[in-house]
Amino acid sequence: MIRGLWDRETIALMLLAAMLPMGASWLIAGGLEAAGRLLFFLVVAGIWHVLWMLARAQPPSFAGALTALAIAMLAPEDLGLFALLLGTSFGVVMAELAFGGWGRNVLNPATIALAFLGFSYPAAPWPELPVQLGWAAWPAAAIGVVFGVTSLRLLAGAALGFAAAMLAGLDLTAVWTAALVALMLLVCDPVASAATGLGRWLNGLLYALLVALFAVFWDTAAPVQAAVSAALLTSLAAPLLDEFAIALWLVRRKRLG
Amino acid sequence: MPRLSSAGLLLRLSEEAPARLPAELTITDECALTARPADDFRVEPLVREGDLVQQGAPVLRSRREPDVMVTAPVPGRVAEIALGPGHRLSSIKFFHEPGAGRRQFDPTGAEDDSDRLRALLLASGLWRRLRSRPYGRVPPVAEDPSAIFVMAIDTRPLAPDPRTVLHEVQADFERGLRSLFLLTGGPVFLCQDEGEELVGKPRFSDRLRVVTDRHVHPHGLPGYQIHARHPARVGRPVWDIHAEDVAAFGTLLREGLVPETRMVAVTGTALTKPRLVRCQPGADLRALSYTHTVPGPHRILSGSPLDGEEARWLRPRDRQVSVMSPVPGNDKGHWFLSALRLASRPMPLVPNAALEQSMGQALPVMPFLRALAAGDTETAVRLGALSLLEEDLALADYVSNADPGLARLLRSLLDRVQAEEEPA
Repeated sequence: MIRGLWDRETIALMLLAAMLPMGASWLIAGGLEAAGRLLFFLVVAGIWHVLWMLARAQPPSFAGALTALAIAMLAPEDLGLFALLLGTSFGVVMAELAFGGWGRNVLNPATIALAFLGFSYPAAPWPELPVQLGWAAWPAAAIGVVFGVTSLRLLAGAALGFAAAMLAGLDLTAVWTAALVALMLLVCDPVASAATGLGRWLNGLLYALLVALFAVFWDTAAPVQAAVSAALLTSLAAPLLDEFAIALWLVRRKRLG
Repeated sequence: MPRLSSAGLLLRLSEEAPARLPAELTITDECALTARPADDFRVEPLVREGDLVQQGAPVLRSRREPDVMVTAPVPGRVAEIALGPGHRLSSIKFFHEPGAGRRQFDPTGAEDDSDRLRALLLASGLWRRLRSRPYGRVPPVAEDPSAIFVMAIDTRPLAPDPRTVLHEVQADFERGLRSLFLLTGGPVFLCQDEGEELVGKPRFSDRLRVVTDRHVHPHGLPGYQIHARHPARVGRPVWDIHAEDVAAFGTLLREGLVPETRMVAVTGTALTKPRLVRCQPGADLRALSYTHTVPGPHRILSGSPLDGEEARWLRPRDRQVSVMSPVPGNDKGHWFLSALRLASRPMPLVPNAALEQSMGQALPVMPFLRALAAGDTETAVRLGALSLLEEDLALADYVSNADPGLARLLRSLLDRVQAEEEPA
């Protein structure tokens, strides 16, 4: 009889609210050019959502705006309109809409779009993120956790991983901003990340360790490229981490008969 | 041992909790025993419309298991027997006539002998207060449960506190609790909140396990206690029963009479003030709430605001009546949006903290709910679906606004498992 409000669109809106600090500081730093870029990706993602609504009766989602924001912030620069159009369409259609829309997808569409662009146009330079963006990731995390749309376990796992890397003497100063922004925009996506308690710890930990690994051993990678690659590998591993967590949980329940 | 933290959700539905109110005795003039078509309860009437019956006298007999009786909830006249196709019980209605008297049963020997106890419970109709998992049906007569859970805690929003009842019938409760050891060879779990101990443990069999949990929904539902301590599965049934019904067993064993009333909380957003009443099983919900509702439209639910159903009569296992004002803005919206919503059912569930708390972090929530929504019986059963019933998913349904409801999905999963495991 009484109904709560935590359906898919509420969560998408809450995630958008959490991303506002990062979006705002990125727009302030990037000026008109950034705004135009964001508008372009919003329009492309929006058109695909509307097309799938008309063709497949699939309700459009505010999560499309999240995807657009992430691609706008992290996509390689100096790419032609066609390349960006192709990359965004690939991510939005193949990683999200073809699975039935946000909530049913396996991988984050923005991660896929960025990886597609990175692999297809390796010569294009990755963006240099302004340093205030890294700081804006902190309120983003706080808002997400308070509203329950970002997993505290995942963030704690990532913090643990970064702390371990720093204790081991690795120098992460160069990748810091990119790592935090990609963590909030790509890795913390509730749909594409691990869904069990332990799985989330491992998910965050794995991301942090991969970022640290790339920072040390992958000399030619730009910070954003390393972070996006780490996000891609992590989200590919998320179902495995969940399986592992569930198997462990079942073993612990054996004693109950 | 109490756990350090219990995950769950606190719902603020109204400021006044009914738990601390004095209970008023209210026997409504009409009452009815009902069954849903899904219960598939096929019966043979033992009385005719217009007959005068004693309270506790058998009025219906199960056609599948002739030992299972349904007894009259009040002394009075049988007003109407409504049977559906295949003699399935729809409802049997009574008019209250106090002069008709109460049926006296003979409890001799039932406190020491398992067969006599079962026969007494069956004849008095109290057998139907037990519930067996998996599937959540009235247990078959010959079933031997591997454990029994006595629920002396109820965390549904606005639920009556079982302690209020138990204080008055402490001796009967202990007598009834003792009798449960005759019904099972396994442990008997007494689930209570963090207040004082309900029974002194040394006076009972060492098979008694006292379980303490925090008063946070959904931990006061038997499903989560069973899931955490003694999971039910096919071939290993687990029973659960409310503490007040255990006290009713004790009363029956002591004096041979079936208690006339049960404690029911009448609450909700459309009531001027919450009430705690003692009324007969199957009481008339309109009569319970009539003089206390605020003017204007309202709906009367049998059950809590979360898992209640609109009903005229109190459902057999309910101890709550919720009188709810209609929620504003609950219309379907533009036809195109509502068509889109319908086309994309079931809507995907996105993990969030509220949804995870709604199942008390007792199991991997998202994998479980995804398996449920996808119809993956095997995974859902592996994660503990057989210990749960519809009421256990009511909070998740509320939080996620899922469509179709998760509770309905669980019911169809349980029906599927039952059809596979127990070919008729």
